[in-house]
Formats: sequence, structure tokens, C-alpha cells
Amino acid sequence: MSDGEWKPKIIAIICNWCSYAGADLAGGARIQYPPDVRAIRVMCTGRVDPLFILKAFQDGADGVLVSGCHFGDCHYLEGNYKCAKRMFLLKNVLKNIGLNDNRLRMTFVSASEGAKWGMVMEDVVKTVTELGPSPLAGKKN
Amino acid sequence: MAENQEPRVGVFICHCGTNIAGSLSVEEVKDYAMTLPGVIVADEYQYMCSTPGQNKIMDAIKEHNLNGIVVAACSPRLHEPTFRTATEEGGLNKFRFEMANIRDQNSWVHMHDWDGATAKAKDQVRIAVAKATLLEDLQPKSVPVEHAAMVVGAGVGGMQAALDLANAGIKTYLIEKDPTIGGRMSQLDKTFPTLDCSQCILTPKMVDAGRHPNIIMKTFTEVENVEGYIGNFEITLRKKARGTRDPSEMIAAGIEGSGCNGCGDCAEVCPVIKPNPFEMGMAPRKAIYIYHPQVMPLQYTIDFESCVKCGLCAEACGPEKNAIDLNMVDELEKVKVGCVILATGYDLIPIEEKNEWGYKRHENVITGLEFERLICASGPTGGHLIRPSDGATPMKVGFVLCAGSRDNTGGVAKPYCSRFCCMYSLKHAHQIMEKIPGAVPYIFYMDIRSFGKMYEEFYYRIQHEGAKFIRGRVAEILEDPDTKNLIVKTEDTLLGRPVNVECNMVVLAAAIQPKPDAEPIRQMFGISKSQDGWYLEAHPKLNPCGTTTAGIFLAGVCQGPKDIPDTVAQAEGAASAASIPIHQGEVQLEPYFAQCMEDLCAGCGMCVPQCPYGALSLIEKDGRQVMTVTEAKCKGCGTCGGFCPGGAIRMQHFTSQQIVAQIDAFLLNPLGGEE
Amino acid sequence: MSNNMEHSYAFFLGCIAPNRYPGCEASAIKTSAKLGIELLPLKGASCCPAPGAFGAVDLRVWYAMAARNICLAEEMGKDIALICNGCYKSIYEVNEKLKENDELRDGANEVLAEADMEFKGSIDVWHLIELYKDEKICGVDKVRDSVVRPLSGVKVAPHYGCHLLKPKTERHFGDTENPMWFEALIDALGCESVQYKNKMQCCGAGGGVRGYDILHSLDITNEKMINMSEVGADAITEFCPFCQLQFDRGQIEIQENFGQTYNIPVLHYNELLGLAQGMSPQDLALDLHAIDCNPFLEKIQ
Repeated sequence: MSDGEWKPKIIAIICNWCSYAGADLAGGARIQYPPDVRAIRVMCTGRVDPLFILKAFQDGADGVLVSGCHFGDCHYLEGNYKCAKRMFLLKNVLKNIGLNDNRLRMTFVSASEGAKWGMVMEDVVKTVTELGPSPLAGKKN
Repeated sequence: MAENQEPRVGVFICHCGTNIAGSLSVEEVKDYAMTLPGVIVADEYQYMCSTPGQNKIMDAIKEHNLNGIVVAACSPRLHEPTFRTATEEGGLNKFRFEMANIRDQNSWVHMHDWDGATAKAKDQVRIAVAKATLLEDLQPKSVPVEHAAMVVGAGVGGMQAALDLANAGIKTYLIEKDPTIGGRMSQLDKTFPTLDCSQCILTPKMVDAGRHPNIIMKTFTEVENVEGYIGNFEITLRKKARGTRDPSEMIAAGIEGSGCNGCGDCAEVCPVIKPNPFEMGMAPRKAIYIYHPQVMPLQYTIDFESCVKCGLCAEACGPEKNAIDLNMVDELEKVKVGCVILATGYDLIPIEEKNEWGYKRHENVITGLEFERLICASGPTGGHLIRPSDGATPMKVGFVLCAGSRDNTGGVAKPYCSRFCCMYSLKHAHQIMEKIPGAVPYIFYMDIRSFGKMYEEFYYRIQHEGAKFIRGRVAEILEDPDTKNLIVKTEDTLLGRPVNVECNMVVLAAAIQPKPDAEPIRQMFGISKSQDGWYLEAHPKLNPCGTTTAGIFLAGVCQGPKDIPDTVAQAEGAASAASIPIHQGEVQLEPYFAQCMEDLCAGCGMCVPQCPYGALSLIEKDGRQVMTVTEAKCKGCGTCGGFCPGGAIRMQHFTSQQIVAQIDAFLLNPLGGEE
Repeated sequence: MSNNMEHSYAFFLGCIAPNRYPGCEASAIKTSAKLGIELLPLKGASCCPAPGAFGAVDLRVWYAMAARNICLAEEMGKDIALICNGCYKSIYEVNEKLKENDELRDGANEVLAEADMEFKGSIDVWHLIELYKDEKICGVDKVRDSVVRPLSGVKVAPHYGCHLLKPKTERHFGDTENPMWFEALIDALGCESVQYKNKMQCCGAGGGVRGYDILHSLDITNEKMINMSEVGADAITEFCPFCQLQFDRGQIEIQENFGQTYNIPVLHYNELLGLAQGMSPQDLALDLHAIDCNPFLEKIQ
């Protein structure tokens, strides 16, 4: 892994019922995508505290993805709406502190959308790679 | 195992045959795991889910005094229960277990990037270990299960499911939005491949369902609202205003009279005539009506949208029966059930929007369901197949298969196969040749899908009886303005040229789609739909009757196109699955509950509206307000936890400390763990 | 030059109308003026180019020639209005494609650069019949009100042609299987539009077929003639001079090759509109038609 070429660090927080299942479906279908994203499972994107995202960027994440159910389909009814509201707020915060807000992305992938998950992965990696390393990467607190 | 001990984690990497080992280095990941803080032992095996694999976990717990287990393998959605059980049998609380998904979300999707996949697997293990060191003992919560079930939809699937549940001793609400049970099967004339009379084989089930002591049949009723969860669904039903009362309803309402006995005196005098949807609009009914003579219950219904409130029906009914109430209003009723089976059936797509086939423009182009009513002896023409334009007997009848199915052009067309149309078109062809001597059916097909038991033999028989088969997609249907014959423009791909076939009548085997209220129903019950629009099953192969929402099951076409045998089979499966928690009397819920850390709680109450289930409330404690969680209502989604500005809400098994540890474990280390 | 009417367009003539049926050009300008639509000359315009003939041989030529015509209108600062389905396919489609696709636009502009021209994508393209149909610009009622000599007592068979409505995914005219809006415009003139079998079928001319295999194209035309004569049509109307040529000269060719005679006159909608607005057959150059229009004119009450 020490070939010198920079690879982005992208963390994804994905909901168990839709996006995690969709990601599993992509696996079952052997849809191939770049390996730069590591996922953390939560039950619902409603669980995502804005502080998690800020901590991730503080730790040097080049990109953060949050992925949940489509509006109206949340397994817990409204968690995805609440998360989306927080994401909008967070994007403004990121802009204010000088981070390109395209580093934070929220997507909606259902349990039957394996192909879509593959496309999301490709797109997120491409976007973050084009943005380059986060200005906070490599800084320790 | 006591909490707050030094973490002692065991890590187990699975090869999963070559599924994982073929795309990344299991050896390297195992060696890396040993270097992680808190990891005491790391091992690997071909198939961790196998008995020897699970034994490794159990033995390691005892041998190394472990207090946390990580398995790097497939998806927790598949094997979390398996490994939790192994963890428990090894002597640990089963929630001290975490999985790293290095197969579905790694080796399977990075098959050509050995280094990238291996580096990712190391990071995934590091993330899982970080959480594992912070896991704690949790106890699953047991809730009682109401000894009752509900079936939504009373077609053959719904009725079968209700009968099975009722025979198993479970009180079952059978809810049907139409005035009668029976569904699509009542509308069919004969069923393939046996050519049984559909209504004849269905009516015994209808009668059984209607009089079973354990079935509470509620027709002309819809689901209004759903609350609760498995074992404890609180469902509000809307009993629509029918305008008539049956004998038991008369007694319940305390009204004099014997009630509706289905005599039909009212319909005789009703002045309002409307199309009968049971007859696909090809026969009339009155504003006070029954769909057909064999309805269950045998009770008239008033269509209040068309009723002019003239009162003639009430007069004709007379004071003895006194069954009619023109001022009746809808009633709401709440019932409690343990499990629910959805069996909402299907509609045909609006095939007139596939304009090229001329449905609704050309009189003699009809759909398969309309054909069923025309050929049915109890239908609007007494079973005589006649042309809508002039009542003549058609001698050349065209059948357009895959009309709107297997079609990627968008709009109303569906990309999927509607599954039973090939078989019913063959059946229709047979019926024409049988009933009309000299009549010739032309079947315009792409493939003939005769997949079931005795289906291929049936296809062979129809070929031999003289049906003509032309393989090609029908491009256009034109009408001769004088004769009203149809000119079917298609291609004969086996001959390799376009053909025009003049037919007296054409039957479109229109694609099917979920009913319009399938969408609000699924949102009320909280289940997903597949990409093709039908309800999503828990697993297409291993759990086709269940959904990912505990306690909700599926039966029949609402889960995907299927014929009667498959519908009945799935209904029996759903009933069996639904009866399990009901008979066990209790069900275990995962303890992912929210907890209020009272010394951090400011009592602001902002979390209360965050909860979709109303599980949070403020209480007085020691002279101040703090939040409290009603565990029975908490589903563990974490929406409140992600919100509390003071960080006072702790989500069990998904604590902020654990999640931040996962984030830190990934990001505060180099990719793949090395510089 | 400009009367500064509210709706003012650069008038793309095409080839067949000015060369074979000049009445279409004359009537288009005069009838549109009465409907509040100004058609200004588009100087220097070439063949659209004919989509079937050119498109089948070299698409780059097709894009470049069509783009050049569009540039002329861009320089005038006016949207284009035209009276031919074939021209519509070339000019409308190329306009849309070059607006969207950078690669195609760059390729066309490379060629146009040699003539010091550049496609900018600043105008839109309309068929005159859609301007008549559009309630915001004219509408059926306004057409009806402009009629001084109702063409009553005659049955007119509508022919929509192909390239205005199709391909459905690249057009905005709605139903392609059984539209009725042209009939509404025909009825507004006082005629009786008639339905006939397979009215949406192609005339047979386009796609290079008339040029390459005329007998085959006539076979297709013949089918249409049979269907239209079966319902007793006194005339055929369309909004495409190429369809007009195929039906008009085509009937002579069908007579020569297949021995069948129909003698059903063919008039462009603008010619019919001109008649209804009081223009004389001479002004409309109806005597240049291959099939004699007099029986139709005499039948009008």
C-alpha cells in the first residue's frame, strides 16, 4: 500500500434496513466499485449525530457519506428526514469553516437498489478524489 | 462477565471458501488483527458459520477468557444471529459480538484489487475491534404476543391464510375492502391447467371463511391506521358505510327488524344504474347492489356516491327486514393483533395507454379479464363469446401476449413478466375452440412460459387442438371502419417477415401491477417495495413470505406475479410463519433502546418530538424535569440519540462512544494500517 | 421590413415548396399575417438538408448544413418557422442536439468556422402548424375566425406525416397513435375531416426511399390512397411538401406503374387556409399541382 499515490479516506455511515441491505445486494450481484469507502452500520440515519461527521472531518476524513432509506420508506418512519435536515445544516457549517461541502454527501439507496449503491460508490470516490486531500488531513488536533 | 474490564477480544477471519480468500489475503488480515490493541487471539477458518467454525469461537472464549468477539466474514444481516448464538454458548452475553462485512461489502465488490481489498479488510477489522472493546452485556426484551392475527385482502390468498390461522386456533380478522370476499378468482371462468370452474372450487373456501368461528370477516372495510409492533399491533379499521345491516348488526344497533337477507327487493326498484366492476364494467348494477349471486356475505351494499336517496329501496325492504339505513356513516374500530398478513392482490395496467393496440378505441379489443367475464356462464352474456361491436360470434380471435409486460419503453409498461398470462391465453384459446366450432385462435407471443405442473402438457394439447401460434411482438392494431374487424400488424419472426392478420376480436393479455391502495397500505405497515413495485420479501429465496418488518407477512400476487397454486402455497407459508410468534406467546425484541443519562439531561424536551413513536416524555424527578423512555415503544432507531444537544441520550449497542471509536479507529490510522 | 407583429419568425422555406408548390410559400406568408404571425425572409438559406437523403450518407454534413441554416436565423435574432416535416426533422433536431451535445456542436462549428459562422444555440425552431395550434400564439378559434369563405361540403383526409410527431421521445406533440388536433384545425376551415384506416402511416417518400426505390415508396403511398378513397375523401391535406409531392406526383406515377387512378387533389394546410381566407386558386398556384384541384374547388359550397 506504500506506492506513494494518495488514496482518499472516505467513511460511510449507512442504515441497516435500506442502504446496508442495498450494499449487500450489490455484493451479491458482484457489482464492482473502488475500495476507498469503509462503512459503519447504524440502525437508522436518524442516529447520525452531526458531531460524528465533524469528528470524522477533524480526524482527517477526505469524504463522508451518509446513506439511508428513500423519503417515505424509512423503517422507523421519519429518521431519514431528520438526518437530511441535519445534513443541510452541516453543509453550511462546513462551508463556513472552509471545507468544500461536497465532501459531505447524503444518498438514498433502498434495499433493492444494489446497482445504485455501486454507482453511488463510484461517484463519491470520484468526487472526493477530484477534491483532493482534506485540508485537515494529517493534522493532529 | 462483568463490564468495565480490560478488553480481551478474539478476532476470527472467515475464508468463506474462495468467496473471501479468493479476493484478499486472509492471512494478512489475521496477522494484522493480532497487532490491534485489545486483541488477545486471532484465528481464521474456511467457513466460520459451520459447526467447527462456531466451536472455534466457543473454545476461544473459554481458553483465552475473552470478553468480546469479532468475526470478519459475510454480512451481519445474514449471520449475526448465528454468531451471537455461538458467543452465548461460549459463555458470553450474546451482544458482545461485532461483525466486519469483508465479503458482501469487500471481497465480492473488489474482486480485482487484491491490495485494495486487503487494506480495506484490515481497516474493517480495526473498526469492528474498536467497537467490540466497548460492547456491554444487554438483555433482549420479551414482549407478549396478542393471540390474534389479521389478514388484509380476502382473495384466494387472503382466505387461505385466514383459514390456516383460524384452523390453528388463532382468532383472525379477515379484512376486505370490497363488499364481498373472493377477489380475482371469483371473476375467472375456468382455471388452468385442470379447467376447473373457478367459482366452483372457490366457493367452499368462501363459505368456510364466512362461517369459521375463528374468522372475524369484515368486508367493505379498510385499514385506516397502524400503530405498534410485532405482537402488539393496534390497527384502526374503517368500516365503510354500507347502507344496510345484517341480522347481527341489527341486534347490535338495537334496531327492530330482521336485517338484510340478500333478497334483492331493493335493487329491483332502485332507479340508479351504474357499471358493475365485477363484470369489468360490461354489465349494469344498481346503486344498491351485490356483485354477483354468490357473494359472501350475502348482503347488499349502497354506493353512496351514486345513490340519490330516493328511499325506494327502504320502502321495498319493508318494516319487517328494515335493513336499510340511508344515513349510515363510516365507523372506526380499533383491534389488537399479534401478526399481519398482507394479501392485497393486483390490477391490470391501464392498457389503453399503450395506444398502438387501440384498447378503448377499437370496440373489439378487450383484456383477458373482460374475456373471462364474457366466456363465463354467469357473466353478462351467459357465457356466449360475442363481439362488443355487433354481438356477432367471433371466428378468428387474436391473443396478444406480453401486452405491456417484458417492456422497457417506460410509461405504463412493466419490465417484468406477469407470469400467468401465457397460461391463461392458452386456456382462452382452448375455450374458444371448444365453444365455437370452427373458430381459430391466433396467439401472438414472444415466448410461451408454461413452467408449472402439467403446464407444458397443457400447451402441447392446445397446439394439437389447432391454435395458431405466431412468434413476434404486435406493433399495431388497426380497425376496419366497416366491419370493425381488427388488423393485427406483427412480425412472424420464425418466417422472418411482417404479417397482417385480420381478426374479429383481439384479447390483450395485459400486464399486471399492484392495486392503487397497495402503496398507502405498505406505508402504514412500514414495509418496503421491490424495484418492480411489488411488496419486498425478507429474502427472495430463504424468506419469501416474510418482510423485514417483524410480524408482517406476505401472501399472493402483492409480493409478485404468481398463479393460484403458488398464491395458495405462499398463503399457507405466511400463515405458518405468522402463527409461530402467536403460539409462542412472546417474542424477543432487540434491546437497542434509548436511555436517558439523567445527570446530563437538561429537561429541555426537544428530543420528545424527534421520536416517531412517541416513546419519549418528560417527567418530574427530584424537583426537575428529565426525559424518560417507554421501552415498549422504543424501536432503537437512534433519532433522538443523534439529536440531543447535550449528548444525554445513550443508544444501547450503538452508543456515541462506540461510533466515535469506530470513526477514530478508521481515520486516525493510515489506510490499511500501514504507512 | 418587419411589421413588428407580436409573433415574428425567420421563415425557412426548404426546397420543395418554393420549387414545386410556390403556393405554399405565398399562402404561408399571407395567412400567417392575418393570424398575427409575421414570417420574415431568411436570406441565404440552403436545403435543410433533406434528412433521409443526407442523414443516410454522412451525418457530419447533415449537422453542418442544418447548423448553417440555424446560424442565419441566429444572426437575425429570430426563431425559425417552417412548413415542412422533413425540414423540421433536420432543423429542429439538429438545433436540439447541438445545444445539448458539446462534441457534436464543436464538430459542426469546426466546419462553420470556414464560413466565419458559429452555432450558438440561441434560437428555437417551430413548425408553422404548431404555431397555429398553440393557444398562446394563435389557436384553433383564431384560425376559425379568420375564415371568410368556409370550405363546406367537402371531406378532407388528414395526413400527419412522420417527422413532426416522431420519434416520440424527442418530440413534444403527445399521442402518436391517434392524435386529433390536425382534424380540429381542418374543421375550423369549414371542411369535414374524415378518419380512415391507418391514418398515421408514412406517405412512403422519406428516409431516402423515394430517391432510392421509388416503386417501393409508391406501394406505400398506394396503400394510403386506397384507405383515403375508401372513406370518400375529396382532398388530402398535410403540412409537408414532401408528403404533398409524394401524394400529388405519386398518383400520376401510381397510374403509370400500377394502373390505378384516384384523382384526389392534395393541398398543403396553408393552401387550404389560404382558400378559406379568400385567396384565389391562382394566387395559390393550384394549377401547378399534378392532380387537378378543380373538382375539389367546384365541390365547395
